[in-house]
Amino acid sequence: MTEQQSAIPTSPRPRTLNGYDRLMRRFDARRIRRVCALTWLWIVVAAIYAPILVVIGASVDPGEDVAGMRAFLVFPPRGFSLEWYFNIHPRLWHGLWVSISMATVSCAFGLLLGVPAALGLIRGNFPGKIVLGTLFRAPLQMPFIVIGVAFLQGYYAIGNMFGIQIVATFTGLVIGHVFVATPYVVAAVGVQLQRFNPAMEEAALIHGASRWSTFRRITVPIIMPGIYAGGLYAFLVSFADVTISLFLSGPNATPFPVMVLFSIEEDFEPTIPAMATIVFFGSLVLLLIVQRLVGLNVLLRGGGSNA
Amino acid sequence: MRANWGLILVPSFLIGMIMLIFPQAVFLRASFFEDIGLGLLGNTFNIANYVIAFTDPYYTDALKLNFFLSTTVVFLTIAVSFPVAYTIARMTPKWAMLILAAIVVSAFVSVAIKVLGIIILFGGDGALVVTLKRLGIIGDGFAVIGTLPGVIIGLTHLGISFMVLMLFSVIQTVPRSLEEAAEIHGAARWRVYWRVIIPLSLPGLISTSLLLFNIIMGAFVSALVLGGGKILTFPVLIQQSLLIHLEYGMSATLSSMLLIFVLSINVVSVFLVTRIRAARLAVT
Repeated sequence: MTEQQSAIPTSPRPRTLNGYDRLMRRFDARRIRRVCALTWLWIVVAAIYAPILVVIGASVDPGEDVAGMRAFLVFPPRGFSLEWYFNIHPRLWHGLWVSISMATVSCAFGLLLGVPAALGLIRGNFPGKIVLGTLFRAPLQMPFIVIGVAFLQGYYAIGNMFGIQIVATFTGLVIGHVFVATPYVVAAVGVQLQRFNPAMEEAALIHGASRWSTFRRITVPIIMPGIYAGGLYAFLVSFADVTISLFLSGPNATPFPVMVLFSIEEDFEPTIPAMATIVFFGSLVLLLIVQRLVGLNVLLRGGGSNA
Repeated sequence: MRANWGLILVPSFLIGMIMLIFPQAVFLRASFFEDIGLGLLGNTFNIANYVIAFTDPYYTDALKLNFFLSTTVVFLTIAVSFPVAYTIARMTPKWAMLILAAIVVSAFVSVAIKVLGIIILFGGDGALVVTLKRLGIIGDGFAVIGTLPGVIIGLTHLGISFMVLMLFSVIQTVPRSLEEAAEIHGAARWRVYWRVIIPLSLPGLISTSLLLFNIIMGAFVSALVLGGGKILTFPVLIQQSLLIHLEYGMSATLSSMLLIFVLSINVVSVFLVTRIRAARLAVT
């Protein structure tokens, strides 16, 4: 067989692959799999971004008069105009301010409660540790709507019992969000703590470092990625939440996402797509800054595994 | 010296417990009082609300629908996300981080905005619907908003980015050498998936799925907006009963039903998983 082939050269360059071989090489199983996997990946990423891109599109759509109404919620946009950006309703700016301050404060309190909790849960040695860990994780098991209902009714009860009014206030919003944000911090910092050997702290102590300087120079640097990751997730949960906020917000404390929901349900505020676009690019810049400061891989590794 | 580390969590624990127990106690108590209108509660302690909630098909159907929806969405999300998470986990770190970062950025955008985007995308005059109609793939009566598939699309969209991020960190822990070993020994690709990758990522897959199940069971923005008020899931009923009808008792009853339902499903699945794992260990 081989002799026959070499005896009768079928092409000027016998080593060249014929068309069939070339085809097979191009479409060998491994390659097909790779192409399919990558195609699917990009389809899914496109699907994740599709609604966001559509809203960005709507934000630059000049709109068209249809039966006396300004119709612009169509994709693709029928033109380009930045008109909406200059007329953003002041109420929306206030909503964004509420969202940012609420998420920042919730994140700060989440860290204040979560970091010591993680240190105690991982480093501590006491009976009932597992039960305590479960209790700290409990908010993750509760549907958000139940949390919203429970906190609203809890606030009414506080109002009736002590006369302190936190229904529909900024404080009320923050307390509800701290409740759901803390477990994320505990998880992220906990993962980081579990990774390193407690012997490092003991070594520092043996070598004469004080308790405080051991904490500051050994423990804190080690849990730092966990703090960043947990803090980011805590901020995110509060910033993007609608469900809990819907129950706890009031006329003077309505976060931006709740405004969007009201607007979709009732009369539509046309500058919302413009505002949403600003929020999206704002988060992008924020994340780039975080990336510059600590690196995103640290964030994803620290937070992704348990949060 | 070690005991100090235990003491450090006492303040967090106390505050955490107040936040956990007080609101729950208040709303569980409210669930045992009847609503007498105008946001007022009766003053006799009884289980009338629970009797209504468990017997009236209006409520039981909503709970069934909610369960059906959540399980469908969880399985759909896994089917979509698992291959994606696997591909990202096996990419070069630079590309993987870039794609993951893009997904994290999308998580900053609130559900309300995404739902708005979905409404525009599937709107009757939008390019997508017009093209599909012209190609004859969909008929004139086609609608996404206000239908069950619409709600499923919205909830799955919500789940995918969460699932990809979580599964990425799970699959990353499966060493590539194990896959190669299986392949060298002649395992076909599907067999490598079925006998190596999936079993090794199963614990992470199950805990992530449960978390997603909890989220979807309580998610109501997509159900409310994409369902157009026609798809009455349990969270939608809770929101309507509390914020529109001001039924503090009934909304508390429904919330506690949802909570107990979700918690028991979590407990049962964790129990089943440990049983299955124990059985498998006994066999091998």
